[in-house]
Amino acid sequence: MPVKIVIAGGFGVGKTTAVSAISEITPLTTEATMTSVSVDVDATDGVPDKTTTTVALDFGCITLDDALKLYLFGTPGQDRFGFMWRDLTNGALGALVIVDARRLDECYPAVDYFEQIGLPFVVAVNLFHGELTYDLNNIRWALAMSHDIPLITFDARVRSSVRNALLSVLSCTKERARRHREKIQVVYR
Amino acid sequence: MTRDGPAGPDPAPGLVRSFLTRPTSEPAEERDDPDVAILRPYLLTSGRVVPVDDTLEIEAQVVTSELGMAAYPRLTFEHRDIVVTCMTPMSVAEVGARLGYHVGVARILVADLAAAGHLIVRRPEFRPAYNMDLLERVIRGLEAIQ
Repeated sequence: MPVKIVIAGGFGVGKTTAVSAISEITPLTTEATMTSVSVDVDATDGVPDKTTTTVALDFGCITLDDALKLYLFGTPGQDRFGFMWRDLTNGALGALVIVDARRLDECYPAVDYFEQIGLPFVVAVNLFHGELTYDLNNIRWALAMSHDIPLITFDARVRSSVRNALLSVLSCTKERARRHREKIQVVYR
Repeated sequence: MTRDGPAGPDPAPGLVRSFLTRPTSEPAEERDDPDVAILRPYLLTSGRVVPVDDTLEIEAQVVTSELGMAAYPRLTFEHRDIVVTCMTPMSVAEVGARLGYHVGVARILVADLAAAGHLIVRRPEFRPAYNMDLLERVIRGLEAIQ
């Protein structure tokens, strides 16, 4: 039985490193197509232009027990969202948004998208040199991130650290599932 | 096969491989003909962009059926390659990655082979993110990793 978690973030933040650190298979790559709608509307017919890009989809897999496989799909490092993102996020347990403390703004598109579609996510600052050079509170302020979005640090090269980051994502997923169950119970009372 | 989009540069060259790599089981003369190489996966899918089941998830699990194993000698090209590769269970995405297909093409070919009974497809659970038992199992499995 397959489940998946999406690993998002801009170029070079450590998505493939994180997947490699924990995947039991060497991360694989397949081509995918992303279709995005251009912001420029064609003047002659009022129809927005569509751009099709072929991107690489990197992914790994962990066997969790004799019947359960967890796939980690890295998002193509584009900030244009297209139909491939829907396929990646549909049915996902949650997302890990990896961010480089020196390039915080690159995570905005992913954070906005996951908030919009209601997918549980955690923002994880990748500690490149094993130390946090920025204060987490400053990062939270810079990202205009509300306090109910979990913000953690981790080291994408270390398996146990990546595991803990994934466990944070699952704890958000569990919390949302619990709240959802409570809402249903209220309806039936 | 990438174009600059309106909002930024293409991804780094290392991330995007050449669009098609060749399956290894075809005759040498076809392998060398670049026009045939580019056309084939689309010929096999009859130019359709919507697969037999267009909701087939990329993480759906695929394995060769007994019928598929028996039919293998009569299959050709991509159908044969997939039936051989899927003797080990794997996801649709892995079929694409291991055989060098675009994931959209992998979905179509897998769906066609499943419809023909050569592959067994196991789809993901319905709404796994709201299934508490499943979430607990995932958490326990992750906690067990050193």
